[in-house]
Amino acid sequence: MQVDIRNRPSFANLRVQFQPGDRIIAEAGAMATMSSNIEMKTRFNGGFFGGIARRFLGNESIFVNEFSASSPGELVLTQPFPGDMICTELKGNTLFLQPGAFIACEPGVRMSLGLAGLRSWIAGEGLFRLKLSGNGRLWFGAYGAIFDREITGEHIVDSGHLVAYEPTISINVAMAGGIFTSFFSGEGLVTRVRGQGKIYMQSRSFDGLAAWTNSHLM
Amino acid sequence: MAMPTSRESFQGGVFHASIPGGRSGATLSIARGELIADTIGEPSMRFSIPLNQCQIDLGGASGRMVFCRTKDGSLTIFCEERNFAKELDFQSGGALAAPLKQLKKGLAADANRFRFWLAISALACALLLFVGYFGVLWTAKTAIRALPVSVDEKIGSMAFSGMEMGRKLDANHPASRLVQEIVDKLKPHAAIPDLKFKVTVVEDADINAFALPGGQIVVFTGLIKEAKSAEQIAGVLAHEMSHATLRHGIERVSQSLGIVAAIQIMVGDVGGLVALGAQVAQTSILTSYSRASETEADLEGARMLNAAKIDPKAMADFFEMLKEKMGDLPDAMAWISTHPQHETRVQNIQNHEKKLPVIQYEPLLLDLKAAQDAL
Ligand SMILES: [Zn+2]
Repeated sequence: MQVDIRNRPSFANLRVQFQPGDRIIAEAGAMATMSSNIEMKTRFNGGFFGGIARRFLGNESIFVNEFSASSPGELVLTQPFPGDMICTELKGNTLFLQPGAFIACEPGVRMSLGLAGLRSWIAGEGLFRLKLSGNGRLWFGAYGAIFDREITGEHIVDSGHLVAYEPTISINVAMAGGIFTSFFSGEGLVTRVRGQGKIYMQSRSFDGLAAWTNSHLM
Repeated sequence: MAMPTSRESFQGGVFHASIPGGRSGATLSIARGELIADTIGEPSMRFSIPLNQCQIDLGGASGRMVFCRTKDGSLTIFCEERNFAKELDFQSGGALAAPLKQLKKGLAADANRFRFWLAISALACALLLFVGYFGVLWTAKTAIRALPVSVDEKIGSMAFSGMEMGRKLDANHPASRLVQEIVDKLKPHAAIPDLKFKVTVVEDADINAFALPGGQIVVFTGLIKEAKSAEQIAGVLAHEMSHATLRHGIERVSQSLGIVAAIQIMVGDVGGLVALGAQVAQTSILTSYSRASETEADLEGARMLNAAKIDPKAMADFFEMLKEKMGDLPDAMAWISTHPQHETRVQNIQNHEKKLPVIQYEPLLLDLKAAQDAL
């Protein structure tokens, strides 16, 4: 199965080229176009209750689509906001994804929704996170550009910009400066990540978009 | 002595530069004093760290992940499983117990600090809301007091025209003329000199009278019929006029509307305030002012009567007469029912009267009998 990320970085989409027997799991609304010979099966995303929980708590679809082909074909997957996509491969390790970032994965990857904790929530990184583990390639997207960073020790990320991180990383809330600076600089709370491992960040945040939109609605 | 070998294996991971991508999930085991990681997938790679060289750390997203690092930091093996730390300590002969305990303590302290700040922040938010709410109310109260009396007049006349009342007596009716003459006599002594008092007599058997904001005063025929002297009517009128000059109506409106009034004042929507105020006035002014407002109106009324050379005692007399009549006054619409605590009030008025300038009171030369007979 050949998967390319096209139209990077602003309007990235995935082109999946199927060989007979290939399978890919994708977020329910991600399919933009596909060959007529590709078979699409909709199934609960990690079980019925898990799916419901994911829908209401993590802002992910209840369903995922499983695409397969018995003859060569092509499938294009997109995300609802403009931005880049990235591919990473799991080899028995785990990655946490922000709800909404997931696009697709190979069948060897397992998904489950977990509580990310109060700290993550206060830091603007969501109360829940999608846990992906197992073996296989995984594609996820971001609002704006994606950049990653290998962390050893501590690193500061503006709130709402963290897209994915490894379980070896701890998430903490911190104030950008003192109480005064945090209040008046507009930076407010930031996410302080600590540990060893990789983090993925997006160049834009949805809070920023909301603020910008609000300022133009008045 | 043979080193113990761990009976179980654990699922974890490893970081090392030689692994494509730098990391991999791994199956961990402890044997012969070494922590061993076999990476998942083909080809499997084996990494190991002697336990006595293990730099232990605790953390990760869950806060429960145990890291074992070589001194130079080039190799890290980690695991989140519950028994891993215990096994690691056991296999190392207790050497890792102390640093692990220390790390756990640090994490617990961190969690406590987080909870502390969370509580402080929640408290600060609540306080801010509280202060903000009452600050706005206080501002509104001040702003309402600063509004011109013309706003009172608008609210009063709007409320008056919207109220359901009995037939209004003609201005030439003897009862209307009597009441008007008393108001004219009291008007020069009102605290707000240019307030336009407008008094209306309404056909209603209840012994009642009330004032709307801005000087609209309504007297029921029942009250005129029951009065023993024109001075008693003057007492009631002085009291009601005082409600208007002390602006109790608009105060009441601002209390009832609260935050709504505050917002309207702040955005400068006086028209909206007047309309809402009229509604409030219609429904709430009949149900009485606050006790403090009533006392204030009593004392100000007594002052006005004294200044107009009318004996304030008549006001107290009227209360006393109503009190005696209370037994056969079943309805709640009587003036007495909206003006409770009459005993202390009679006392208050009498006490206050002694502090007023000593003057020769003059009887009102008005024909109450003729007015009563015309009703
Ligand atoms: Zn009163």
